[in-house]
Amino acid sequence: MTAMRRDLLLCGLFACAALFWPMISDMRYSVTQTTFFFIWATVVVQWNLVFGIGGIFSLAQVAIFAIGAYVTAMLGYYLGTSMLLAMPAGAVAAVAASLVLGIACLRLYGPYVALLTICVSQVLYVLIVNDTDCFTNPPSGCMPLMGGVRGFSRFGDLGFRDWLGAGFYIGNYYVGLLLLTAAILFSIAIIHSPMGLAFRALRDNPVYAAARGVDRFRYQLWIFGLSAFFTGLSGAFYAVNTGVVGPVVFSFQHLLFLLSMIVIGGIGTVWGPVIGAAVLMLADEAMRELGDFRDIGMGLLLVACVVLMPRGLTGLFQDMARRFAKPADTEGAT
Amino acid sequence: MDVFFQILASGLTLGAVYAISTVGLALVFGAMNMLNMSHGALMALGGYMAWFTMTGLGLPPVAGMLVAVLVCAGVGVLIYLLIAGPMLRSEGFETRVFIATIGFGAMLESVILMAFGPQPKPQPLAVQGGLSVAQVHLPVQNLLILALAMVLMAALALLLQKSRIGRAIRATAQNRDAARLMGVRVGMVYALVLAISGGLAAVSGITVSSLSSLLPNMGGDPMLKAFIICVVAGLGRVPGSVVAALFIGLFEAVVQYTVGVRFSFASLLLLVIVVLIWKPQGVFGRHQGVRL
Amino acid sequence: MSDDLVISDLAAGYGHQSVLHDLTLRAQAGRLTAIIGPNGHGKTTLLRAISGLIAVRTGEIRLGADRISGLPAEAVVARGIVHVPQGDLLFPDMTVLENLRMGAFLPAAARQEKTVLEEVYTLLPKLRDRENQIARTLSGGERRMVGIGRGLMASGRVLMLDEPSLGLAPIVIEQIYEVIAGLRRAGRSILLVEENAMRAAAIADQVHLLDHGTLNWSGTGAELSGRPELLETYLGV
Repeated sequence: MTAMRRDLLLCGLFACAALFWPMISDMRYSVTQTTFFFIWATVVVQWNLVFGIGGIFSLAQVAIFAIGAYVTAMLGYYLGTSMLLAMPAGAVAAVAASLVLGIACLRLYGPYVALLTICVSQVLYVLIVNDTDCFTNPPSGCMPLMGGVRGFSRFGDLGFRDWLGAGFYIGNYYVGLLLLTAAILFSIAIIHSPMGLAFRALRDNPVYAAARGVDRFRYQLWIFGLSAFFTGLSGAFYAVNTGVVGPVVFSFQHLLFLLSMIVIGGIGTVWGPVIGAAVLMLADEAMRELGDFRDIGMGLLLVACVVLMPRGLTGLFQDMARRFAKPADTEGAT
Repeated sequence: MDVFFQILASGLTLGAVYAISTVGLALVFGAMNMLNMSHGALMALGGYMAWFTMTGLGLPPVAGMLVAVLVCAGVGVLIYLLIAGPMLRSEGFETRVFIATIGFGAMLESVILMAFGPQPKPQPLAVQGGLSVAQVHLPVQNLLILALAMVLMAALALLLQKSRIGRAIRATAQNRDAARLMGVRVGMVYALVLAISGGLAAVSGITVSSLSSLLPNMGGDPMLKAFIICVVAGLGRVPGSVVAALFIGLFEAVVQYTVGVRFSFASLLLLVIVVLIWKPQGVFGRHQGVRL
Repeated sequence: MSDDLVISDLAAGYGHQSVLHDLTLRAQAGRLTAIIGPNGHGKTTLLRAISGLIAVRTGEIRLGADRISGLPAEAVVARGIVHVPQGDLLFPDMTVLENLRMGAFLPAAARQEKTVLEEVYTLLPKLRDRENQIARTLSGGERRMVGIGRGLMASGRVLMLDEPSLGLAPIVIEQIYEVIAGLRRAGRSILLVEENAMRAAAIADQVHLLDHGTLNWSGTGAELSGRPELLETYLGV
């Protein structure tokens, strides 16, 4: 079985199992949390393509996510656009933003990219939060163009409320599942595609790859822009699912949370980010009771993982599997 | 004309504040290719330590400064021992240490938040009053900061150029293996560099908070601006980053006066992007990343 | 002799790959010992293992009574083994003088820095003229001289030179080898790694031939000249 077939099979199994989760779990909380898991997992699966496969140390993924969310919310709020149209529009806006950012950043040396992209995130945050000029003046009070500190709410939903009533969250759950499944399929396709191979060549032997005409910048721009589509779409879905979009989506804590997922799961693999997202959501859940210690715990988890487990949980699993497989291999040889 | 001097004065003060935080970052990157993302949290820690020593324990300002510098230097050593040291020789060090220090910084910030609460506090290590020279108002605190920055920069330059340990730092930065062959204990050099950088972060945190106020997340924006300055100068170029800091301080003062405070960070970012398109290695950077 | 460099049953390498194995040899004090052999057969690895830049897997390295193996590079220099690495590894943004002074970084060497610096300038007069030039702007030959001068500044017991002729013009190689010959006459212990076997044989008291990471042949320089088949098989001369 090829690696690609194995990954596709796993993806199918995962999607089928997830189909039944809302029927088994009768708690609304666990279903809505799983929907959030779908959103975050989509973001980190795409981030992994950029960082782990493309070798772009970008910290702008959260900003790209936020752009998807904001554009969707603003279209709904100001123009009353249907969410079914606003969501893809948000995703396309995210792609456009990422291309501009990519052209400005991607020719630079690794750490410069990280610094610039984190600054872009922060600047957007500062610009939105400090905006106090009223763009419109609805009865609820002054509304700056980008929503200011308050952000946007009541900009529409996918219509599940009218259709399913109190069970609307189950509708969102399945949209989230569809989103993540598509994102994983896309990630599998990229990793096993000629583009994935080109990136592997670039990483293993940059000089040879360059000599064979592999243009690093062009490939990086491609992967940066393509992954922004699903990142933006997950932002758009986040907006629809929560019904509120505020500057908090840009926040540093948020960035840290998502970065931890990808690092702890394992960079550069298909399933690492998904596992990481699940582990971090569960850890967050477990530490909810700890109050202030939660943030300390999250930081500690990230540091410990980077120092002790550089290839993340998937790396750990692979090492363990190899250790078990080794005796069998030598037996086979004799 | 008065406006010109006012802008010049506030720009130079900003530049001096930035210079103190920037050289610490530049030194660490120059010596060990490490972007220390917990620098902002160290700045906050320094500010709070000065507050705690003076307001909490009632000790004089000198003690406040000393405690802040020593605590932050100690945390710098801790960063070496727990984070940078263990992964120094591994593949992908630059990326890994970047991420790990983000986590460490977040942790440190949460600790500060728990210990001191989210309300802003005034920085007691500050001097009130001002001088008025020909209708230009100069707060004494700003003049002090300028003087402090100049003394610190001179001391650092002297340390790097003239002392035995400074030569060891430069040698390690330029060629780690060669430095080891000369008998330099590079582990000690790295720990020391992080300690110096931590101490500088403390001073910088005190100056930043004396101009506004103490908050657990006060270091975030100054750190990012310091990184922007590092990038403009070329990562790891210590003298260049001082020049760039002063220039950026002036630039920001002009933007704040003409366009508004809101856009100062955004315009800085725009500036750095323009600089990088023009010179991808920074203004003082060389193609091969050799420095110090 | 108490200051002989003795290597016994040494294994060393990079990552999972072993480059040296079962290597045993002795470099006598006050003599010039040359290590020759084809490229990629462990000559540089041997020097890096001795100076502590890479870890020793098994076996032992001793200098006189001191056990060297297992020590980090900075401790090996302190025991008196000075490694002048391949490609010089200068400090590119320091001046020539600063580079030389870095050679005398350890306190014991720093105490006699002035006298030794004069000796180095006498031996390599060109460096005095270039004293304040930044190392990155030097020519290849000048860099090599700074590298050797910096090694001498450490006032060590053994000087290890890795391919001092590599990449230099013949006339510059001539100059470098005159300097090495002078050091030999002065009774310094030298361990010389050289690709050019004839060059090494002409100057060495003792020659060791390294092949696939282990010792293949030992003898004097004169003996090597009388073994054309060795030269042909291993060195393609």
